[in-house]
Amino acid sequence: MRDDDLDRILSNEDDLSPSSGFTASVMEAARQEASTPAPIPFPWKRAIPGFVAMAVAFAAAFVSALSYLSEPAASPLTYESVRAALAPILELVLRNGVGWALVALVLSLVLVLLSRRLAGARA
Amino acid sequence: MQPLARRAGRTIEGVPVSAGEDRSDVGRVMAGDVSAFEGVVRRWQGPLIHLAYRFCRDRGRAEEMVQAAFLRAFRALAQWRGNSAFSTWLFALATNLYRSELRRIPANTLSLDDIPEASDSRTTDDALQKEDRCRAVRRAVHALPPKYRDALILFCFHDMDVAAAARSLGLPEGTVKARLSRGRDILRGKLTPLMGAPRLKEA
Repeated sequence: MRDDDLDRILSNEDDLSPSSGFTASVMEAARQEASTPAPIPFPWKRAIPGFVAMAVAFAAAFVSALSYLSEPAASPLTYESVRAALAPILELVLRNGVGWALVALVLSLVLVLLSRRLAGARA
Repeated sequence: MQPLARRAGRTIEGVPVSAGEDRSDVGRVMAGDVSAFEGVVRRWQGPLIHLAYRFCRDRGRAEEMVQAAFLRAFRALAQWRGNSAFSTWLFALATNLYRSELRRIPANTLSLDDIPEASDSRTTDDALQKEDRCRAVRRAVHALPPKYRDALILFCFHDMDVAAAARSLGLPEGTVKARLSRGRDILRGKLTPLMGAPRLKEA
């Protein structure tokens, strides 16, 4: 076999003709696609205030963390100080049943992930 | 096999005549005339099936992949800016889809170690020996790691045009040349008994 043989063998393949009805089948699928309503776009305008609020909250948390770290001696991190800081949040959570809502959210997430995994394994 | 431009249609001074037809058909589809897409399908179904077959060696699967490629192209027609040939855009999209499909469900190929060695040339008929060699080379190409296999398949499909293969793969030409070279090295190692000549042509 000569140097060019590999290229020649790989290049010299017979052309394939599409089977009868192939074009019609593609066009049928395209027409179906065209008649399907466009997917609902993500509501960016409504979501923007939420994103802005999240960004502000993260920025505030970041600034607080920086200021805390810059003065370690003034406010030492102890079990009591952390508990005191978290106490109002815990009280709010317990009073309004936020804990149950969180449990439900986590459970939903687990179920979604599990079903996607099962569907993926079957596909 | 004919070169892509010839297979896809007529050319005038190297520029495919279909380029204008593609542009016109795409414009009509974008304006809401879905039936104009049939022109695109008729022009490109042959080359796309041919390329798909080279990837999967299964006619039925090749047609399925091509139908999926046309549908994806139909959905994404608005993304074709018109600054490159429609065929370049379509082949890049189709190549991407074929490669994803083969990653999902690999073609039924053997590993490089399972490729049968060439028969003894003194004991076999010339035509049979030639057929054996062709089959062994194609099997060996399909048993290559995907990045070398894809580069070789596209390089040969595009009539030894590295630039066209690079555009279809969405890679720089240098990367494609390196992959062609490495792919050939691997093939050379496996097919030495078949080759007779020590060096395969470089890209």
